[in-house]
Amino acid sequence: MIKHHPDNDILTEHAAGTLALAPSVCVTLHLDSCEQCRRQYRRLQDLGSALFEQQPQEAVSAGLLDTVLARIEEEPEPLSYRQAGGDPDCPPLVQRLMQRDFEHLDWRRIGAGVQTCNLRTGDRKHEFALYHIRAGGSIPRHSHRGTEYTLVLEGSFSDESGHYAAGDFIQRDASHRHAPTATRDRDCICVGVLDAPVRFTDWRFRPLNPFLRLHAH
Amino acid sequence: MSNIPEAPAAARSAEQLNADLEKVGSARDREAFGRLFKHFAPLVKAFARSGSPLAASHAEELVQEVMIKVWQKADGYDARKASASTWIYAIARNCRTDMYRRLQKFDTPLSAEDIWPDNEGLELFTSVQLQRDATRIREMLGQLPRDQVQVLAKVYLEGKSQAEAAEELDLPLGTVKSRVRLAMAKLQLMVER
Repeated sequence: MIKHHPDNDILTEHAAGTLALAPSVCVTLHLDSCEQCRRQYRRLQDLGSALFEQQPQEAVSAGLLDTVLARIEEEPEPLSYRQAGGDPDCPPLVQRLMQRDFEHLDWRRIGAGVQTCNLRTGDRKHEFALYHIRAGGSIPRHSHRGTEYTLVLEGSFSDESGHYAAGDFIQRDASHRHAPTATRDRDCICVGVLDAPVRFTDWRFRPLNPFLRLHAH
Repeated sequence: MSNIPEAPAAARSAEQLNADLEKVGSARDREAFGRLFKHFAPLVKAFARSGSPLAASHAEELVQEVMIKVWQKADGYDARKASASTWIYAIARNCRTDMYRRLQKFDTPLSAEDIWPDNEGLELFTSVQLQRDATRIREMLGQLPRDQVQVLAKVYLEGKSQAEAAEELDLPLGTVKSRVRLAMAKLQLMVER
């Protein structure tokens, strides 16, 4: 049961196309599993279309229709490019970003039982990373210098503020400090999107802080 | 042919436009496509020109792209689920987003269709309910105060964030946010959880 949703502002920006790419990916992944937000997204898109209809029309050049009809004639219709295949449990959107198998990604260890790897989305203002937390493992306690969006893909984790399961969308602002811990029964896989590097507050990891960079690419 | 828009008497109703789009999908009907073009191309052009100046200079290219997509995807259109206008607006938003990114040389493995898939995964029954909401939204939009519509238009048509809208209108961000909230409340678009 999904309990954590993007707020109305984020859904509006997503529907209007003004949300940055990396956070939008998290919203799309959330919508895949949340019917309630899919409905709301659809309403917000309908608002967009109502505004679109109200615009004053701008005349197009004479002959533009003929140009379009000619191009329809010439250009072959594209085949549906959403490729099948791959792991059915992994959302196609994430597979597209990974561009190889999960095991063969460039994983880095952070703390005991936690691995992370950055994926390239093209969004230069947001880092987009996968986190693989082994059952019972935790990410070292940290706070944020900016905003963090988290989307749980598989398994579940807890922190001081709650328990989060597959499909949950969590937004955290700068002040929040936490040490997300996966449940003991299974591994947890999440997407994390950051607009500034984290700051470790765990004394063992604090020395790393000056070297942390945003891997946005 | 001239650039003078036809008299409003020639305008087609929403139902007629939906039927035109279905005919394009099922029978590849070029006359129906011509009628859709006449109605929607000037709206798509306006939409292109209200976005970033970079894309505004390619407005008619966007019109071509959008209308070609309309032709190619029309067989997936279902008038019970969405009006032609909602369906074409979504294509226009997607194409405009991809065009911005191309023009800015924003290199990404994702296209707009990965972010906003066509299939919304809603049951037919739900879609029919949502169509009623859409009609209500359209009617209520006309009753909103001008300053609220102006802010919504900045976000949806000009593609601005609320912060950018505030800067442009020379208003505090809080004022812009509260106008959006008031508008959403009147349109019954606030979510309660």
